[in-house]
Amino acid sequence: MDSKQAEIMKKRSYKILVYSALAGLALLTSSCTKDLLNQTPKVDLPSSAFWNTEADATTALMGAYSAVRPLFDRDYYMDGHGEYFRTRNASSSTLSGLSNLRLGAAYNNASYNPSGYGSGFDNMYMYLYGGVNRTNYVIENVNKMLLTAKPASIPNLQAIIGEAKLLRGMVYFKLISMWGDVPYFSKIAYSDADVATLSRMPIAQIKDSIMADFTYAFDKLPATVTTAGRAAKPAALAFRGKLQLYWACWNTFGWPELSTFKPDAAVGLAAYTAAAADFKAVISNYGLTLFRNGDPGSWGTMGDASVLPNYFYLFMPVANNNTVGNNTELIMGFTHGGTSTNQGEELMRDFGGRSQESSQCWVFPRYELANRYQSTITGDFCPTLLTTTSANVAKDRTKLNSAVNPASYANRDYRMKATMLWDYEQIAGMKSLASTGMCPYVYKTYGSTTLVPGLTTYDDGGAGEPGYIFRKFVRNYAGQGRSDGDFTWPVMRLADVYLMYAEATNAVNGPQADAIALVNQVRHRGNLPSLAATKTVDKPTFFSAIEQERIVELIGEGQRGFDLRRWRAIERVWCPPYGTGVWRIDTYGANLNQYFLNASELAYQQCYIFRIPPGERNRNPNLTQNTPWL
Amino acid sequence: MVKLNNYKVMKKKVLLHWSEYYCSHFKKSLIIMKLTVAFLLLGILTANAFVYSQDLKINFSQKSFTVGEALATIEKNSDYRFLYRNDQIDLNRTIKIDASDKTIDAVLTSMLKNTGINYKTVQNNLIILSPIVEQQKPTVSGKVTDNTGLPLVGVTISITGTNRAVISDVKGNFSITLNANDKSLSFSFIGMKKQEVVIGGRTLINVTMEAETSTLEEVVVVGYGSQKKVNLTGAVSAVKVDDKLASRSITNVSSGMSGLIPGLAVAQSSGMAGNDQATMIIRGLGTINSASPLVVVDGMPDVDINRINMNDVESISVLKDAASSAVYGSRAANGVILITTKSGKGLGKTTLNFSSSFATEVPTNAYDFMNNYPRALTLEQRANVVNTLPSLLTYKNGTIDQWLALGMINPLQYPNTDWWKIIMRNGAVQNYNLSATGSSDKSNFFISVGIMNQTGLQINNDYSRYNARFNYDYKVRNNINVGVKFSGNWTKYTYFYSNGFTDPASTNTAGYDMRYAIAGITPYDPTSGLFGGVMAYGEDAQAYNPYTNYINNLTHQNRQEANTSMYGDWTPIKGLTARFEYALNYYNQFQWSGPTPNTAYNFQTNTYGSRVYVGANAGISNATNTGYKTQMDGSLNYHTLIGQHHDLNFMFVYSEEYWYDRYEMAQRNDRLYPSLDEIDAALTTIQSTGGNSSTEGLRSYIGRINYTAYDKYLFEANCRYDGSSKFLPGSQYGFFPSAALGWRFTQEDFLKPFTQGWLSSGKFRVSYGSLGNNSGVGRYEQQPTLGASAYELGGTIVNGFVSQKMTNQNLTWETTTVLNVGMDLGFLKNRLVTEIDYYDRLTTGMNQPSSMSNLLTGAYNAPRINIGNLRNRGIEINVTWKDRVGDFNYSFNVNGSYNKTNLEKWSGYLGRGTTFINMPYHFIYGYKDIGIAKTWADVYKATPQGAQPGDLLLVDVNGDGKIDGNDQVAYPNAQSDRPTTNFGMNANFSFKGFDLSFLLQGSAGRKQYWTTNYNTTNIPLTRYASSWAQWNNTWSVSNPDGIWPRLAGSGNNVTNTSFWLQDMSYLRFKNIQVGYNLPKKILRRLGVDNVRFYATAENLFTITKYQGLDPESQGDINAMYPVNKSYSIGINIGL
Repeated sequence: MDSKQAEIMKKRSYKILVYSALAGLALLTSSCTKDLLNQTPKVDLPSSAFWNTEADATTALMGAYSAVRPLFDRDYYMDGHGEYFRTRNASSSTLSGLSNLRLGAAYNNASYNPSGYGSGFDNMYMYLYGGVNRTNYVIENVNKMLLTAKPASIPNLQAIIGEAKLLRGMVYFKLISMWGDVPYFSKIAYSDADVATLSRMPIAQIKDSIMADFTYAFDKLPATVTTAGRAAKPAALAFRGKLQLYWACWNTFGWPELSTFKPDAAVGLAAYTAAAADFKAVISNYGLTLFRNGDPGSWGTMGDASVLPNYFYLFMPVANNNTVGNNTELIMGFTHGGTSTNQGEELMRDFGGRSQESSQCWVFPRYELANRYQSTITGDFCPTLLTTTSANVAKDRTKLNSAVNPASYANRDYRMKATMLWDYEQIAGMKSLASTGMCPYVYKTYGSTTLVPGLTTYDDGGAGEPGYIFRKFVRNYAGQGRSDGDFTWPVMRLADVYLMYAEATNAVNGPQADAIALVNQVRHRGNLPSLAATKTVDKPTFFSAIEQERIVELIGEGQRGFDLRRWRAIERVWCPPYGTGVWRIDTYGANLNQYFLNASELAYQQCYIFRIPPGERNRNPNLTQNTPWL
Repeated sequence: MVKLNNYKVMKKKVLLHWSEYYCSHFKKSLIIMKLTVAFLLLGILTANAFVYSQDLKINFSQKSFTVGEALATIEKNSDYRFLYRNDQIDLNRTIKIDASDKTIDAVLTSMLKNTGINYKTVQNNLIILSPIVEQQKPTVSGKVTDNTGLPLVGVTISITGTNRAVISDVKGNFSITLNANDKSLSFSFIGMKKQEVVIGGRTLINVTMEAETSTLEEVVVVGYGSQKKVNLTGAVSAVKVDDKLASRSITNVSSGMSGLIPGLAVAQSSGMAGNDQATMIIRGLGTINSASPLVVVDGMPDVDINRINMNDVESISVLKDAASSAVYGSRAANGVILITTKSGKGLGKTTLNFSSSFATEVPTNAYDFMNNYPRALTLEQRANVVNTLPSLLTYKNGTIDQWLALGMINPLQYPNTDWWKIIMRNGAVQNYNLSATGSSDKSNFFISVGIMNQTGLQINNDYSRYNARFNYDYKVRNNINVGVKFSGNWTKYTYFYSNGFTDPASTNTAGYDMRYAIAGITPYDPTSGLFGGVMAYGEDAQAYNPYTNYINNLTHQNRQEANTSMYGDWTPIKGLTARFEYALNYYNQFQWSGPTPNTAYNFQTNTYGSRVYVGANAGISNATNTGYKTQMDGSLNYHTLIGQHHDLNFMFVYSEEYWYDRYEMAQRNDRLYPSLDEIDAALTTIQSTGGNSSTEGLRSYIGRINYTAYDKYLFEANCRYDGSSKFLPGSQYGFFPSAALGWRFTQEDFLKPFTQGWLSSGKFRVSYGSLGNNSGVGRYEQQPTLGASAYELGGTIVNGFVSQKMTNQNLTWETTTVLNVGMDLGFLKNRLVTEIDYYDRLTTGMNQPSSMSNLLTGAYNAPRINIGNLRNRGIEINVTWKDRVGDFNYSFNVNGSYNKTNLEKWSGYLGRGTTFINMPYHFIYGYKDIGIAKTWADVYKATPQGAQPGDLLLVDVNGDGKIDGNDQVAYPNAQSDRPTTNFGMNANFSFKGFDLSFLLQGSAGRKQYWTTNYNTTNIPLTRYASSWAQWNNTWSVSNPDGIWPRLAGSGNNVTNTSFWLQDMSYLRFKNIQVGYNLPKKILRRLGVDNVRFYATAENLFTITKYQGLDPESQGDINAMYPVNKSYSIGINIGL
């Protein structure tokens, strides 16, 4: 290459370099979208922007409320574990909640039959711990705020912690009452490693922690509810009482399936006493009264639903307001919002039929429940309702005590009319948010216009079942969709506290006058006469009277299964192991489901304690299993 | 007078002839003409002369001469002799020759400088001196045609060894001026064999070009440019979209690629108009995140392949390995599909094309529902009776008998509806396309409009697509080009369910599936205008009338897309090109529905049922999705040749991509009137709204080097550095290099003796490299944010926040590393061409949510981690034979691929299921059975499992005396989602104006448990639309040879067991096409260039053992939209 060529090449390289540099520069400067790689979310709040003001503490608490609400507000399904409530299916109704906690994810894929259910609550277990995390998040962060808070802010912040601790206590209480010993943590977890190897903490220790939470809440919460839907001292106290009542039961009746637990009758007795004291305080110290003063209201006319007893309205949104001067019976409840709030409850969808906004009758009152409603005249049980058959229906419509004879239901506990429909009882029909008029229920018919002239019979969606339909929780007015309910789901109400007080005092000292009076107040709601003297002669008799009240008063509120387990009463109410089983039947006498047929002891044990999720045990070697599930 | 001067020694006869020639012809014009010919001939003869003359040196003794003296001196000192005309040469002019020992060329050049006189050496020693006659340069002209005699437009005719060239015109004619030294012409045209023709003094040269028999000469579009196929080093397959492919009656481009490209698996799940669910996977499942290939149209990624007009497409390239995909790499880990649309480049003239086709569609297969209600009730009764007392049966005998009798005389009250007939129709596809294309030396354009109108198999399932495209390039300066591309499409789509008959969402509880469409419902009574509902006693009131939904409950969707781009390139100096390109893709989608209220009617009782299909308060809902994506690319390219044999190319690209999407919806109840469709035409009592938006950014730096030595050794290296806004700072960038080598061994001299004769070309390729993928990660998934979770206090909503995210700060790109080894061979003059590729593709660090303790999963979304590795290994073979015999042209192509996927690592917990280490992802896992128990003896012999005769007997594989999940067996060689082997075969024949082609496609290696809602033996006891198979096939005491288990038997009968395991291998006759081109003679009279008529059929038949709906289908247990079979006719006209 001669020098001239070299010169040309050099010139050329130089040109290339200059042009490249120019082009490159033009590109890099002209382009650069600002912060191209730093895109910020448009809907979600960056974590760093939170925990700056006192108001943030309340906002966080509301987040905790909304996360704990769906751990309790479908507890009616759990009544299926008892004898009087049929949960036909709770998975279909919570399908859309598969990954949506608000729509029932915690209740999905579980079993709600009277037996064989103990392995079905892995989702509930997981979401209950979700609630633990949510409340821990509030407690820990507000505690941090306390360190630098102005003195004027402290009471409010402490009340917020108190409310969060109440919620956390409720969640852990549910956990131990189902699984016994469970892992316990009370701090924010930042990674899987923080909790991955936790072992189960003995129930006694957890019970103490829950007690501490309830006590803190009791200390810091206001005496009365400030805004409808929030908690006050009575809630903390009632739950502390209930926890001690359960603790008393476990120590008294034993919990053999929980191998680490050693019952101690003396501890039990002390717990009964302490529980009674807490209940007593709830009853006496805060001026709480039963809904509409516990008056029964009016039964109305047979087969007509334009007038309904007060008990019905206790489970309507009119009872939501639990501030002073309103429904103080509602000690603790979880609120819901109506149309377009994305916070609706689905009580109508689950309790109502196709005639009510195409609801689905996922739950039913069993035939056996009907017989638990006592006579307003005798104050005692009525003759057992006689079943019919397809061939005899027509003539049994008028037969004495026949289940298909509406007259058989006259003069019964007012709560019966408020709770259920029997043949020819009417309920409001509605379609597309508009009323379709009244709708009579007649078992094994639907859409018939001839049975009751001018009216179309109730459509239970072909679900059939026992011959009764729920009225309780089903709105008697149109305007809201089946998933848009705005009722405040009660987790603790005064009537329950009355009955628990009676139970606790009865366990310690036998029937007490104040306890009997409280039970009678509850009975008065059904317009039942006071208990006859024979019903309060001794501990077991009075206990039975209390149990009877719990069955009818609390039906569909998710209490019965827990009651049977803490009382160890499953064998009593069904049959002993290897028994002949017990049928549930319908008003036509057909056998619907048979439970505990030839069931082994293990089958019972698996009802008394739930299975620790095996998937989690695969991950965590420190996690032991409850004996019946090994 | 003409005088020949100084003509002395005439050593050869031929020269004597020359002298005579000049002496005897006088007329000037004539002479000039002849001279032209002479020079032409001379030009051909000069080759030897120069060799001679270069050697000889002339010594001049003095410095100043007259021309005459100089010539004399030369003649004296050498054998050279001169021939000239005295009146043309000034012999007395004085010249200076200052150097000695000059070659004769140098002397003559210097002597004749600026005289207008040229010299030519003839033979070895005769030099002719004559004036330069510029305006009279010789030309050669002619016509270029193809083997059918049709003129070829735009053929490049160049003079060999020069860069002078012309292009054939509309009629195939050309004319080119020659220089004296020009010897031969070369003809080249894409898709045709290059030809060299020796001019040999001819002035008219007609050439017939032959179609390229070797695909190796093809040019293939690769990322940011194109490359000769012979120089490819990566795994690239290409398809040219000819009129045969464009004529097929397929409604989207992806379906059209099925069976054409080894390694590209296309599966079509449904024949639904507007949603035929064609999915493409390149080389197996690359990742368990989105494994779809990246589609790039004219350099623009993120264009919906199924909204492109097939008629606009020029070619499709599929980039399969890391090296070739690298330039699109940040999202190209699963391969790239490059689509290039047409342009008018090099066309010379303007042409118009019109095409139109019409197709009719029928289903390939469908479930055979019973249109016999009493029989369906009987079936349910038979299932019911298994565990129910007769008195408690849901359906009474009376109900069934009554229906059986009255059904024959009263179809309104006792219908036996054949839903399939009611809601189905023959589908139709109409296609119209008009395009114009052309070019000049400065610019070229392509403009087209297309309409595709599809009426689906299902009533009121319609889809129309309108496409427009405009491509334009302009040469601003010799070294500056600019261009724009615009394409727009508009679709209108009407449907009831997004999947046709079903809603695949597991949360769907609406009961609108076809299995609920019992035969006992009257679809519609025209007299009363009512839609029927349930009537039989005991029937579920929720049973379903599909007709009413397909009439009253439709969703309408309009979508507009505009994809535009512009570029400019500038070549300041030779080899260096800077290019800037900016693309904007915009879309707007509007969806509305305004259902018409209707309620199920009972024609027996003349009352409305409780089933409300659409409530009286039905309102209107609107949803708008809109957004745009911008892309800015700047690139620098430098291409140089070092010496003769070292071809080097450097490229650097900087690229930015940005996405913005937003969504808004509004809904009101209570429409004012059924004919009003806008939101304002509804009451405001209940209304809801929603809206959000999201953005994403991606920045890439890309470098590429190509080096080719001696046309034999090929080398390419790429590297890219990608940053994504989806990751957190510190983990945003990934670096992905790749390199490829190629060796064209048939070019090696030492191998030629062995390969000559049978192996015309051979290349060995190897590439290795990595690419990133961020597709699994949500746009803001990595950002620490709080979730909104409102609560209700005192009757009003209050705001709540929850912490629900745990973030893995270190999450970063998942990486796919591909090794590709390939061999391209061309045999027998490239009539037989084969390509074989082996690849090993390892995806590491797949993004997946980690598994967490369930103490946390109830509150937190598990952080995404780079969890596992997945390996795909496979081979691909492509064999093409192409030849002609006289006028008969034919070609065969066979392609096949085999892919094995293997999950190699998983750092999370894996439970029992279809995902496990060292197994294919989603392998087959289920029970084994020994078939249906015929007798109680069979039951007793088997492991106790609650079976009865008629039930399947599962095998106790682990021998523990019970049947449970542990008895399931894995089949490592079969996958449930996709086949391991795909193959295609296509053949083309043409003879004169006729052509015939067909395409077969098939796959193997996929199995699936055939357990759907339509073939279950455990049928629901109410509202179930049963099929004849359930009636005929189920085992019972009276049907002991029933091939299916009994009705309402053990749950084991409908579980995943070997009984239901079906081989989904198939061979499908995808397409056959017959075409006829009108002869030229007729066309000339009509004044058109070409007219082609054709008839084509799709999915004509399928050979498979699969008993379900379609072996290609990916559907869920409810899916039932069949795949279409279609027949179409069409015409293409070119002007």
